[in-house]
Amino acid sequence: MAEVELRPVEDVKPGKDRATRFLWPSLAIPGTVWLILLFVVPFYGIMAVAFSSQLDILGQPIPVWNPLHWNFAVMQDVISESFSGTYRSAWEHTFVYCGLAMAICILVGYPVAYYVARLAGRRRGLLLALILAPWWINYLTRMLAWVGLLGDEGYVNKFLGWFGVAPVDWLAGNWYVVVIALAYGYLPFFIIPLYAFLDRIDQRHIEASRDLGANSVRTFFRVTLPMSRIGLITSIVITALPMFGDYYTNTLVSNSPKTVMVGNSIEKSVQAGFSRAQGSSLVLLLSAVLLIFMAYYLVLTVRSSKEPR
Amino acid sequence: MSFERSEPNEQSEAGDPNRPPAWRPQLHRRDVLRGGLYTAAGLGVASLLSACNNDSGATPASGADYPLARPDDPVTLPIFDDNQPIGDGLKVEDTGALKVLNYADYMAPGVKKDFGEKYGVEVQVTPYNNYDEMLNKLNAPGAAFDLVFPGPSVLSRMVYGKLLQPLNRSYLPNLKNAWPEYQDPWYDQKSNYTVPYTVYTTGIGYRADRIDNADEQGYMMIWNGDYKGKVGVLDDAGESLAMAMLAWGITGDINTANQDYVNQARDKLIELIDLVDVKIDITQYETIATGKFTVHQAWSGDLIAGQYYVAPGVSPDVLGFWQPKATPDRTVGNDNIAIPKSSPSPVLAHTFLNYILDNDVSLKNFGWNGYQPPLTKLSANYLIDNGYVPENLLDAVVVLKDFDQAKQFYEVPVAVQNMWLTAFQEFQSGGS
Repeated sequence: MAEVELRPVEDVKPGKDRATRFLWPSLAIPGTVWLILLFVVPFYGIMAVAFSSQLDILGQPIPVWNPLHWNFAVMQDVISESFSGTYRSAWEHTFVYCGLAMAICILVGYPVAYYVARLAGRRRGLLLALILAPWWINYLTRMLAWVGLLGDEGYVNKFLGWFGVAPVDWLAGNWYVVVIALAYGYLPFFIIPLYAFLDRIDQRHIEASRDLGANSVRTFFRVTLPMSRIGLITSIVITALPMFGDYYTNTLVSNSPKTVMVGNSIEKSVQAGFSRAQGSSLVLLLSAVLLIFMAYYLVLTVRSSKEPR
Repeated sequence: MSFERSEPNEQSEAGDPNRPPAWRPQLHRRDVLRGGLYTAAGLGVASLLSACNNDSGATPASGADYPLARPDDPVTLPIFDDNQPIGDGLKVEDTGALKVLNYADYMAPGVKKDFGEKYGVEVQVTPYNNYDEMLNKLNAPGAAFDLVFPGPSVLSRMVYGKLLQPLNRSYLPNLKNAWPEYQDPWYDQKSNYTVPYTVYTTGIGYRADRIDNADEQGYMMIWNGDYKGKVGVLDDAGESLAMAMLAWGITGDINTANQDYVNQARDKLIELIDLVDVKIDITQYETIATGKFTVHQAWSGDLIAGQYYVAPGVSPDVLGFWQPKATPDRTVGNDNIAIPKSSPSPVLAHTFLNYILDNDVSLKNFGWNGYQPPLTKLSANYLIDNGYVPENLLDAVVVLKDFDQAKQFYEVPVAVQNMWLTAFQEFQSGGS
């Protein structure tokens, strides 16, 4: 899953064969068309709404397609409300919940990926299948299962009841339930890329470390962990991107103003007609924040691919 | 949000010496929040379809882009040259589907099925939680719906925004079944665009087996920490903010343009977040009955429908509906059915309107959704005598005189509407 070895195009020796000179670039056409139609155009549409300053008779923003007429008042307002107003708690929740969920993913996911990649032996196929099993079930269905488990008369409360513990109102808007649900939902996305990476670490490095007298703990911290750094970051990025924009996990297990994340604010704003410009501005802001993550990741991978292996 | 005036308005306003010029270039969201009456008076024109001003007999009041109907100031909604009703005697279209934009669970599955079988179509429902969402979905590019269910508080702007098409009454002989007042209602004189669907009051639904002093507590059931985790308010800016106003002594006008009042109501709602872990949804017809909620702001119809959601073996006596005792303190409302301009099957849609106004069909619908249709034959007594309303919910039945005295949501200028919606969204966001 991590970096793919990219060959410079020059290797193909252009010009040698006229047919292939056009063939290779033309292979990019489907992807480019796809990207323009389904990403660039909609994204521009979001900007046209976010930077609109006119309302129609219903009080809804009219998209402004000409960038010369764009007005950034709503965006400025949303930014200031993000630091000290309506959206502040949503941003705080997003960073804290995603950070905690990510920590759980690392604490649970890394050992699992490590075990499957290096120690599982013949059982590896079975374990991989088990990790992937949740993907056979729709994400929404899995989250609804939590609702069933954590409901007032759900199994968790029944179980606690056996020990005389009073029923807990799990779904009343508890931040830890949201964090657990997020971690649960995204854990497989975290494990698989990390597994693929750990699996490719050259066994000889580890043997060398042991030969040189390091014990297994020291080998792990001095060799395996540093060598899996890019894999770890890949997993974090792959998990973090959707987690930051997630709203339905939160809606299903909490749906309370107490645990609102940015994704929820976006959903509310966009579903409502009157605040679509605010919602669109939040989308752009969130994209900008995630772009920082993405850029950091790209810099890291480029740098590591230049390092001698 | 900010508003910038479009060209035609710039001109039309220049000639009006009464307009305060101070906010001319732009209006920021905070200004809207602070502006109160001032913005209410001025801002409504911001998005004006200037052509509309002259079309209506009723002069648009208080700076709005559309006439604001009131019971004592009725409005005839205009039929525009470029938006005419369908012709007489047309054949029902063969599109295979009746596309309905409506609240979830607001129409009986049996009624949908019967109609679908009779006309060989599938009745497809796209749900919304409140009028703002409804307008958003209806206004989306490419949206095409055959039916929509607007109340008087959104109707005028939908007509002036040309989201609805005028009705051809020749398809609607059953309109005579409606209360006479709704054959020529104040918000749509001559029924140019709507037929009535339901009437209801807004109050508090509660579990009578858990609360025995509902009358004593009244609105304070919602602000009672004893029910923490089991309290909900309607996902509707108007309803929830107005309830907070009425509960905390701002009883003058539930359509107020006073920013202070709206903010006070908002802050009272925000208090609920920590006080009772409040939820904001419109599932009360089911969730009070199943016990998920002990108290939930509710429409009267929700409780009458609630009797069909209580667990097998549980008596509907567990359901309670509280509203202020004196009629003038109550909040009543009604929903209508209209046909969007985008309707792919307007003849089929007219056919449905006539179908649902049939006494028997309407009774069947009421027997499932619990919302009273304003049809003369299906009077309060008739429904009670025929066992559709349990004894303990007699208070949830609406009669005509309620509409003469009680509070109602009226249409307000866009700026006032957005002020309420913004306050509500701040509540939804946790109110930091």
